Amino acid sequence: MSEERRQEPQERGFDLRRMLVNAGGALVFPLVAILLSFVIGAVIVMATGNNPITVYAALIGGAFGSASSIGRTLLYTTPFIFTGLAVAVAFRAGLFNIGGEGQLYIGAITAAWLGVSLGFLGPFAIPITLVACLITSFLWGSIPGILKVRFGAHEVITTIMLNYVGINLAYYLAQHLLRQRGPIPGTETIDYAVRIPIISTALGRVNYGIIIALLAAVAVLLLLWRTRRGFEIRAVGLSPGAANYAGMKLGVNTILALAIGGSLAGLGGGVEILGVYGNMDVPFVSNLGYNGIGVALLGRNHPVGVVLGALVFGGLFSGAQEMQFATDVPLQLANVLLAVILLLVTATKLVELIVGKRARDFVSGTHLERGGL
Amino acid sequence: MEDFLGGIGPILQSTIRQATPLIFAALGGLFSERSGVVNIGLEGLMLISAFAGVVGAYFSGNALVGLFTGLGAGLLFALIHALMCVTFEADQIISGTAINLLALGGTGFLMVVIFGSGGTSPRVDSFESVAIPLLSDIPIIGKAFFDQSLLVYLIYILVPVTWFVVYRTPFGLRLRATGEVPEAVDTAGVSVTRMRYYGVALSGILAGLGGVYLSMGVLSAFTEGMTGGRGFLALAALIFGRWNPIGALALPLLVGFAYATTFGVSLEAVPIELIEMLPYLLTIVALCAFGGRAIAPAAIGKPYRKE
Amino acid sequence: MAEERAERGSAGVEGAPVVLEMRGVTKRFGPVTANDDVSLVLHRGEILGLLGENGAGKSTLMKILYGLYSPDSGEIFVDGERVEIRDPKDAVERGIGMVHQHFTLIPRLTVAENIVLGAEPRKGITLDLEGAIKATEELSERYGLKVDPRARVADLSVGVQQRVEILKTLYREARILVLDEPTAVLTPQETEDLFSVLKELVADGLSIIFITHKLGELLGVGDRIIIIRDGHVVDTVDASKTNEGELARLMVGREVLLRVEKEESKASGETRLAAEELVVLSNTGAKAVSGVSLSVRAGEILGVAGVDGNGQTELAEALAGTRPVAGGRVYLDGEDVTSLGADARQERGLAYVPEDRASKGLVLDFHLYENNTLKTYDGPPYSRWGWIFPRIMRRRAAKTLRDYDVRPPDPDARAGSLSGGNQQKAVLARELSGDPGVIIASQPTRGVDVGAIEFIHRQLLEQRSEGKAILLISLELEEIRSLSDRIIVLYAGRVVGEVGPDATDEQLGLLMAGRE
Repeated sequence: MSEERRQEPQERGFDLRRMLVNAGGALVFPLVAILLSFVIGAVIVMATGNNPITVYAALIGGAFGSASSIGRTLLYTTPFIFTGLAVAVAFRAGLFNIGGEGQLYIGAITAAWLGVSLGFLGPFAIPITLVACLITSFLWGSIPGILKVRFGAHEVITTIMLNYVGINLAYYLAQHLLRQRGPIPGTETIDYAVRIPIISTALGRVNYGIIIALLAAVAVLLLLWRTRRGFEIRAVGLSPGAANYAGMKLGVNTILALAIGGSLAGLGGGVEILGVYGNMDVPFVSNLGYNGIGVALLGRNHPVGVVLGALVFGGLFSGAQEMQFATDVPLQLANVLLAVILLLVTATKLVELIVGKRARDFVSGTHLERGGL
Repeated sequence: MEDFLGGIGPILQSTIRQATPLIFAALGGLFSERSGVVNIGLEGLMLISAFAGVVGAYFSGNALVGLFTGLGAGLLFALIHALMCVTFEADQIISGTAINLLALGGTGFLMVVIFGSGGTSPRVDSFESVAIPLLSDIPIIGKAFFDQSLLVYLIYILVPVTWFVVYRTPFGLRLRATGEVPEAVDTAGVSVTRMRYYGVALSGILAGLGGVYLSMGVLSAFTEGMTGGRGFLALAALIFGRWNPIGALALPLLVGFAYATTFGVSLEAVPIELIEMLPYLLTIVALCAFGGRAIAPAAIGKPYRKE
Repeated sequence: MAEERAERGSAGVEGAPVVLEMRGVTKRFGPVTANDDVSLVLHRGEILGLLGENGAGKSTLMKILYGLYSPDSGEIFVDGERVEIRDPKDAVERGIGMVHQHFTLIPRLTVAENIVLGAEPRKGITLDLEGAIKATEELSERYGLKVDPRARVADLSVGVQQRVEILKTLYREARILVLDEPTAVLTPQETEDLFSVLKELVADGLSIIFITHKLGELLGVGDRIIIIRDGHVVDTVDASKTNEGELARLMVGREVLLRVEKEESKASGETRLAAEELVVLSNTGAKAVSGVSLSVRAGEILGVAGVDGNGQTELAEALAGTRPVAGGRVYLDGEDVTSLGADARQERGLAYVPEDRASKGLVLDFHLYENNTLKTYDGPPYSRWGWIFPRIMRRRAAKTLRDYDVRPPDPDARAGSLSGGNQQKAVLARELSGDPGVIIASQPTRGVDVGAIEFIHRQLLEQRSEGKAILLISLELEEIRSLSDRIIVLYAGRVVGEVGPDATDEQLGLLMAGRE
């Protein structure tokens, strides 16, 4: 047995240095994944007869190269923060929330509806509408949770199925009950008074929704590490056996984790409608929910990581627009790159091969992912 | 009465047509999951094979070539999944989701690169229906069963063959053992890694058949996102069918029947979105009514690590 | 026992040819040296005992022999010929078979399927199931290992499952058989049956290596005994010329007090924990506990003995409140708590140290301060209005960890980074620091190093002196005997008898086997 340190490890609390070291280690792994995927992307680009350097220059430039690029990046980042948080919260409880697509649509259609019908309230309609989005998508998100607890139906399948149900439900409402007059399928456009204001014309269409997204990330942070519910969610996710033995109820936490996840994605949908689009066209956005999985994993299921991961995703999509314009590489390359990043980020053994065995646990951020602040 | 009996035939034919891609994918999922590897990526495998099949048929002018390119693509993507899950011990559900995203993005990307634009590809040679003489003349059910695409006839053979392979061959025994207690297989001197690669590879080929059938058996072109969740339905079919090749037929036939009967319904009466929802709602109900993953292969979802 | 061995004559074995020799085997796992220049020799027809404490290196050595590990240095000779064993396949080819402590059987498949897996008889491309069944029957007959080839392994008792494991090795024509702690899961009667089988095998020319930490058994069945301690061979003795005391001393390296110093019982007569006709179902829905009644008084330790799998786990869980009760009642200080959950019972002074600390006692990925408040996080001072205060949790944990000798006493350490003994102490710290009135301890020293075992035993005895009521469930008879004031024996979910700590092995053994 080694000699114990004389130091009293009492109120360690906020040890900045330890946190930075942990965070630094946790960053290395995702960075390696991103770099590797860029290498693979370069190969693909060359195979299509293009110069990877010009392509990546356009990509990076399109992401951060000018004020309008940055604005566009932030614009794309916003919904990814929401869907990433939606996945991350569920993961903390040991659950897979693949239902971000449907959950976002439920929130979006709620906003598309209330944004119009509460239009007489002017800007006051914004917070009311967003709260309504939280509620409807909370309820929607609780469905797979209830199905799992009551019937044992695995949430992977049910959340995916509910995506199709939710999207179709939203489209149905958009085409029939809430349809606008005129030939274009979709809901009525919301009055400008009820829209989330943009930040600055220099930054393009990005609006204060990104602030709401960041606040949501802070809220998740507090939820997970400073509340009783968060303590239970994490315990249940890390060790259902021990949590059960400690008297925690698995069922309630399962349902709540999925419901909270749903509400986050739904809030994202509401922000997209009120901040960016002003209405729900048919068809509406796609893949924001599925990409939320990549964001969450890249961010090691931690709110801070999710924000950074969302930035990566947002930057890639933004840059891809420029890339498609400047070269003849289609912007779907971004989708391919993101899928590769997702693959690499979960291949912990691959990282081991690259950075060595001892570094693996440290670098993969597993302790950060599971231990928290 | 005549009308009713006359109606059964086309509905049955349509049911089988709709069920076939699901059955292919479910059989594929069976091999993968029985070996212990969850395959959420069936959707992506089907999609990439549907696309690759069309590409092959487009450049060669021959559907058969398309079949091979399609299967090749399915196999390739499945091997990526196997590499990630078995060798790199990645989380199997995430890897499957990544495969789906890769297929989605990849097909979108390649559509532009190869055909110049997204949406739908040009028409290609396909596996049209071939009526088997004599058998297809059986009243009512003859046309339904025996006037179908060649790939459907393949299903008639594949289902019993799968059953036989899984339950009556040494390979099948080892496959099942790998999904239950990989340690037992390892100590018996059989490579768990190899069995899992086989299982996942087979899922790529079978799901590939499903994908090729989608783009070249029913239609003769590729449309972006044409799998529409069938890969996930197939997974649910597998769970619902208790990881058994005969049981896995139940949900696809049910869903196929649902598709078949609603085609006739007029769009004024029931909005198309509600019709679209139907297979997914059915699947959820089926999963809930008849149990979750209570008796999945015991070692499923976890990488195998020697101590 | 001893007479039978003397009949065979130990001298005869020494003269037999050497079938296996391991020379100078060394194996390190990082800083830990599991095997340090270990050598052994096995003769034909011999039963060689490999004795040592948990973690001494016996299993490691045999895993090297079976090709599961590769040694850092050393050589292996089979029948005089030097061999390389890189994986179990090589070992099996050389006629080495191993029956592991944790069976590698597939519950869903039949006995015959399990036996032939990997070396299946074929008819063309199909599996020859009939042939497999026939082969099983033949082997079963020949060696007296009674099994039903068509039975599903999931339906078999542990003793029969072990026979299937042995048949697996025989099917592959093993001539050297290694058994890793085979009696850990058997009743005394099943152990007797196993020993007869071993003698049959040996008469047929097989050679056996028998790994155990139970001294008494080897004296009964072994020819020679090799004692391993801390990775190296301490001595090799002749089974007929040694005794328990000497073996214990060699195994542990110091005079082992086989009994801990225990004060006179201060039991006050007041019953603090009671169960009345308890019926508890297992996970599969079968009755694991069928009508158990017991009572534990203040200041006494009630030991529950029995072979693993006779309902101990379910009984503990039902008493603690982590498993619902299907019939009967549980009383805590006279109050009926049957419908209350674990946290409610904990509030009423019940502490529970579960047998599986890694998956039930601790959240390994939580910090120690979080684990420390796993049951108390939802009230003041740690929590108010839904918020929790980690700083207060840390402060409290720092003190508790020190009090219970958890090393390192760092509230921010991840529970998973601690050794088994320290993890167990951390669980103890959490459970006992709340000054409970009743303690349920289920296998509290499983997988724990000797130093920690002594600490934990002392803690339990201290609680006993302070007038707490303690229910001790353990698979180690010595532990039960040295700590308990009274002992009840559980068999097939029922209490089959109650004895005092001075009961003989025979008495206990009979009860554990279900004979009253």
